[in-house]
Amino acid sequence: MIERHDTDILIIGSGGAGLFAALHAQKANPDLKITIAVKGLLGKCGCTRMVQGGYNVALSPGDSVERHFMDTIIGGKWLPNQDMAWRLCETAVTRIRELENEIGCFFDRQPDGSLHHKAFAGQTFDRTVHKGDLTGIEIISRLMEQVLARPIERMEEHRALGFIPSRDGEGIAGVLMVDMRKGSFRFVRAKAVLMATGGGPTMYRYHTPSGDKTMDGLAMALRIGLPLRDMEMVQFHPTGLLAGEDTRMTGTVLEEGLRGAGGYLLDGNGRRFMFDYDEHGERATRDVVSRGIFSEMRKGNTTPNGGVYISMAHLGPASVAEKFSGMVKRCGDCGFDLAGGLVEIVPTAHYLMGGVECDSDTRTELAGLYVAGEDAGGAHGSNRLGGNGVANSTVFGGIAGEVMAMDIDSQKTFRDPDGELLQAEIDRALQPFTIHKRTKISGNIHAIRDQLEKTMWDQVGIMRNAEGLQKGLDQISEINGRMMDCGLEDDEKVFNLTWHDWLNTQSLVEISGVIANAALSRENSRGAHFREDFQDEGNLEQSYFTRSRQSLDKDGRPRLKVEQKNVDFSIIKPGESLVEEM
Amino acid sequence: MLSEAEKPTAEFLDVAIWRGNAKRGVFHSYKVPQLENQTILDVVSYVQRHIEPKLTYRFACRVGMCGSCAMMVNGRPMWTCRTHVDRAMRGIMRGNPLTIEPLRNLPVIKDLACDMSGFFEKWTRAEGRFHPTRTRSEAIEAISPDSDARKAANEAIECINCAVCYAACDAVTGNKHYLGPAALNRAWTLINDQRDGGRNLRLSAVSGKGGCHNCHSQQSCSNYCPNELNPTMSITGLKRETTKAALKREI
Repeated sequence: MIERHDTDILIIGSGGAGLFAALHAQKANPDLKITIAVKGLLGKCGCTRMVQGGYNVALSPGDSVERHFMDTIIGGKWLPNQDMAWRLCETAVTRIRELENEIGCFFDRQPDGSLHHKAFAGQTFDRTVHKGDLTGIEIISRLMEQVLARPIERMEEHRALGFIPSRDGEGIAGVLMVDMRKGSFRFVRAKAVLMATGGGPTMYRYHTPSGDKTMDGLAMALRIGLPLRDMEMVQFHPTGLLAGEDTRMTGTVLEEGLRGAGGYLLDGNGRRFMFDYDEHGERATRDVVSRGIFSEMRKGNTTPNGGVYISMAHLGPASVAEKFSGMVKRCGDCGFDLAGGLVEIVPTAHYLMGGVECDSDTRTELAGLYVAGEDAGGAHGSNRLGGNGVANSTVFGGIAGEVMAMDIDSQKTFRDPDGELLQAEIDRALQPFTIHKRTKISGNIHAIRDQLEKTMWDQVGIMRNAEGLQKGLDQISEINGRMMDCGLEDDEKVFNLTWHDWLNTQSLVEISGVIANAALSRENSRGAHFREDFQDEGNLEQSYFTRSRQSLDKDGRPRLKVEQKNVDFSIIKPGESLVEEM
Repeated sequence: MLSEAEKPTAEFLDVAIWRGNAKRGVFHSYKVPQLENQTILDVVSYVQRHIEPKLTYRFACRVGMCGSCAMMVNGRPMWTCRTHVDRAMRGIMRGNPLTIEPLRNLPVIKDLACDMSGFFEKWTRAEGRFHPTRTRSEAIEAISPDSDARKAANEAIECINCAVCYAACDAVTGNKHYLGPAALNRAWTLINDQRDGGRNLRLSAVSGKGGCHNCHSQQSCSNYCPNELNPTMSITGLKRETTKAALKREI
């Protein structure tokens, strides 16, 4: 039994991208029926809410869109799609004014009442607008209120299972979903669909994103053959909390400012080690510090739970407690004394720069399907600047809303769905139950996910080499085989989290394979991607990005192809600059 | 630190988790291995991952930012992701289990997951959203962070709509129309927001049936707010402002 549902615009995800898309589409054409479907609760799941740092925008006298753009291109090591990066920096200016003036966010002010801009790593100007260190909560709470007050349909705790193209393959017909609360399938037809599920590299043993994020959107895009770019580019944050097995808090971010303020990183024996790797010690950039810690972990110089320590006490526990009150309280709630003691940390997977290829209007290759936020690849290239993440999702979410409303203006009817594919996606989602019917055995999906996380961490993580990546690919393929033996008793589909854990793991396995293949293909070290066997960054003028695309071979088995495509220096070439004295 | 009488005697924690649906439910007992760094969310996750795969609960951010994982723990509403087991067991005598139930004052969907839609409907009904007076084509207004109104708004702004206060409030239990502390607290931040153009609309919205005058100032909201906000004080502010506006016949 599938329930059918129709809407004009279907938005998947309720982070900064999804909520902005809804508001802008509605403003562009108030007669449209707009639906937001989200895996958790509206505005509560996803990662925009978790933004600590802030929002990069060139507003101050002396700063400029050109300067923000150059920082973004240089930070991304010349890999960004320049049209997208330009659109990001340019539109951020109106978007931040919209957030303040129309949505109702209130960002921190200077004593004279003007906006406060803070310094953030990798930028040549203080341009990060923020609300303390809880910027994301302010943005998402205010956006959520505006959406709740409008006639926008909400489908909460609805999981997207598959994009269903039209029978003729010319465009998207709709999305298959499961209403998680009821455990029943729904096919939602829509004239336009926005994919805004947020990437989130949660296939790594240590990761920062919220628990609901499992690459479902990217896996869906992969399965219908859309091109994904920059998939090897996974950003790691150096200081994630480490609390041991079976703890949800493990991997969550301890803020960057702790190192900036003079915090020490100590190995398991209490020795400071970062100066062995970089003259800036703990204050080196995120990637350098992550590699330093990872190297110590490889050598076995670790703490009881296998990481290193962060120590702040030498700065005076009272002053640390005052300056980092939120972090100290968070650690305290979970049993750690950040101000006066040692807290175990590990590097942690934070953000996926890669995503679905699209143009700067958010259009994908498939008519009617749009992409914005972390699901979209290109704006950040090989590395994302802190503060460009939430700018990216809100800028392109808004653009998607306007473009979708415009594009479907002339479209009178729904596209006719490919019934075979629809059935295939239903069968896929029911796989764990089908396996159980056959084997009568309930598998342990959590052990499989743990194995995947270990593989990705060890072989496809912070430091990579050909041998390890190949080993990683073999292990991923073995894990995929284990999935096909992992059954689940078919006696309850209503709000069955373990079924969703199975589906989550399946999405992660599929995208892990893409990350590993793209990483094997890139034989140089750029931005977030570090190859021990190819440490040079390669020729900047001949910069390429990876394009991964899946197709079916003649036996119907999926085959992944990774190509190298030249970066189009549409605005600026390496060696040139749009600003003087960079 | 737990006192001697509170300390668990075994490596296992006795846990009683409420399981059921909107109509009925009962406590189920589980034994969960004790860990050094263990939150209530970790306990619930352990049960789902290792003992009862069909247990339903909700969480997202894991760090006290999203407000998805609040539950009643030993009878008190709290974020489960930020509550260490030791803290929850403080004052609970040896031999008693750790009890975990869905949030009070909200309909249950299944097990520990509640339907929060009524909570958010009230947020909207209290005009808990900004009414703009400027557009995106205009500059951002200069506002002194030290003005009294801004300070009052800032003091109450860091709410993550987790509904802990709503679950703690007896006035909500007694009156299903009562907007509750979270929605009214948000309304108060907007009353103090000099950029907002919806003042009278909002004062009307929070002064009618189910409005701020239903609050009995018992302060459970303020006692339980994990962010240490004081909704009782915000509601007192609304009572004052709505009364003044009514006397002046503005609402």
